[in-house]
Amino acid sequence: MSDDGQLILEVRDLVVRAGDRLILDGLSLAVRAGEVHAIMGPNGSGKSTLTGVLAGRPGFEVVSGSATYLGRDLLAMAPELRAREGLFLAFQYPVEIPGVNNVYLLKAALNAQRKHRGLPELDAFEFLNLVRAKLASMRMDETLLNRGVNEGFSGGEKKRNEIMQMSLLEPTLALLDETDSGLDIDALKVVAEGVNAMRAPSRAIVLVTHYQRLLDHVVPDQVHVLAGGRIVKSGGRELALELERRGYDWLRPGTAAA
Amino acid sequence: MSAASPIERISAAHARLAHRLGGGAAWAGRRHAALGRLVERGLPDRRDENWKYLDHARIGEYAFDAEPAARPEPASVNARLLGIPAAHRVVLLDGRFSAPLSTPALPAGLEVIDIAALIERDPEAANSLLRAPGDSADDRFALLADAFAAGGVLIRVAPGCEVAEPVYLAHVATAGSPAIHQARVVVDAGAGSRFTLFEHFVALGEAAALGNLAAELALGEGSAVSHLRLHQHGPAAAQVETWFVRAAARSRYEQHLLALGGRLLRSNLDLVLEGAHATCRLDGLFLADGERQVDLLTKITHRGAATETVQEYRGIAAARGRGAFNGRVTVEASARGSNASQTSRNLLLSPLAEINTRPQLEINVDDVQCRHGATTGTLDDDHLFYLRSRGLDEAAARALLTFAFCRDVIGRVPLAAVREAAEALVAGVLPDRELIRGAV
Repeated sequence: MSDDGQLILEVRDLVVRAGDRLILDGLSLAVRAGEVHAIMGPNGSGKSTLTGVLAGRPGFEVVSGSATYLGRDLLAMAPELRAREGLFLAFQYPVEIPGVNNVYLLKAALNAQRKHRGLPELDAFEFLNLVRAKLASMRMDETLLNRGVNEGFSGGEKKRNEIMQMSLLEPTLALLDETDSGLDIDALKVVAEGVNAMRAPSRAIVLVTHYQRLLDHVVPDQVHVLAGGRIVKSGGRELALELERRGYDWLRPGTAAA
Repeated sequence: MSAASPIERISAAHARLAHRLGGGAAWAGRRHAALGRLVERGLPDRRDENWKYLDHARIGEYAFDAEPAARPEPASVNARLLGIPAAHRVVLLDGRFSAPLSTPALPAGLEVIDIAALIERDPEAANSLLRAPGDSADDRFALLADAFAAGGVLIRVAPGCEVAEPVYLAHVATAGSPAIHQARVVVDAGAGSRFTLFEHFVALGEAAALGNLAAELALGEGSAVSHLRLHQHGPAAAQVETWFVRAAARSRYEQHLLALGGRLLRSNLDLVLEGAHATCRLDGLFLADGERQVDLLTKITHRGAATETVQEYRGIAAARGRGAFNGRVTVEASARGSNASQTSRNLLLSPLAEINTRPQLEINVDDVQCRHGATTGTLDDDHLFYLRSRGLDEAAARALLTFAFCRDVIGRVPLAAVREAAEALVAGVLPDRELIRGAV
């Protein structure tokens, strides 16, 4: 593994509580530009908590530890500021928001980011051309633009919409929370192509997944196993294949490694 | 404010003003009888079940006096009205019909009659034309209107007549001092007629009047009326209204209520689907921001067989605003095969805002389908986080979600000018409205 890329995300000894439950218990992770990391783990291991805390979802209490993004204290930033600074979370369960137009949200999101960076807003023509191209690449119907956000979308359409938003916003750090769950094989391929198209030397991608099948299509540089609220094992792509064969039980804290 | 009770002040105003109201002995007698019943029964108060959420003291702040204001400049009235091309304007100034401000030439089949003139010209005809209010608490303000009955307008659409352009009925409050103004509106939709009636409530400048409207609509067999109602008073004006709607067989009534202005609004709708296959759709949106109060009551009675009502109400309360929705549906034994549905969804935007919703169903026959649902909540945290995670700041996300909450109700308003005015009003009272420009 090369250490050449700029350090984009560094999580150190992160301890996070939700209510009276300890969910992350000393998690550490470093992700560099150009890398794709996969975080795998059984249900309830804290995968969605990790992406939620990094994106700024309310409801968690950070007890100790730190997360820095491009050298800045990520946890001190409002969620919208993280987004404008180039962090993107693809939701496991994208919400339906009737009454808020998809196209409006895309435009507001893109312009919020551009304004933050001192760039002029795109005019309507440039914007629509850009969005149409992104839609086409995700094989999404243009009529979805004028519907409410995710309103009446199938499970697969919602996931593709997340990836489409990601490709529009061109994040520096993309966190994908179980983007592969609930997808049939064709949709999985489209999503994987979308993710692969985003791979770039300046960008880091963290894929959170329960199954290794997405990793057949998006080959990660590093694989981490999250169990009991911390990374218990890290390795290359072969670790994912081993998990596929052996399951997670042998890695649970307190279980002797075989 | 004087120590006299509202009823005492109403009596005093009546003694001072009644002799100036026209119509001879018949009308003097009618007004006097109405005042007598009102004095005997009093204005509704907290003990009346349909009036328990209203701030009655606030109504009492308005002087029960009806001195007409100076005649306003036509330009100042026109500036407050919406531009609806080719609409037939009917303007009431503090409840009195204004011929100079109204459209002079009307298409065949549409008739507009000044009730004040009719009372002078043919007191008996006018007497039988205006409904005599009943004794229930909900009809008490109509009784008040009757006690001072002097003017208003009769709109008549001939049987079979289709009026292509909307009838624009503007209620304009002009008085600068707090005063109460009575208005009467009678709408007669002949059998098979079809038209759109747009009622627009505006106040000039800082007009601080309490408008009291007693109104009735009779839908003839097979008629279709689309009734739009936009309340856009200034912050000092108040409105109490009692609408009485009767729907004959196969008629279709649609109402879009947009209660977006004024300091206080109490709106009563008493609707009876009398004939078989009469249908009705009621859409409503209220917004109680600042210190505003909006209190809606709908009483729907299914009498004819296979009648149908759909009610969809949305309420938003912000700051210290207070709202209430009280919806009663009664299905009588004769109304076999009827359908009634009612939803009341409410959104609270601040901890001090308050909305009370009270759906009531009374079903006296089998073989009907009725459902109702009422919810009151705050903005969804998951929705807020999703929008913020895309870079929208919290204030913009809140404004956008609030706007989204009422978008479908506004979206069904059939006249573009009214729809756009409502959108601008809703967006305009939201915090950080410039942030959602473009969504509107």
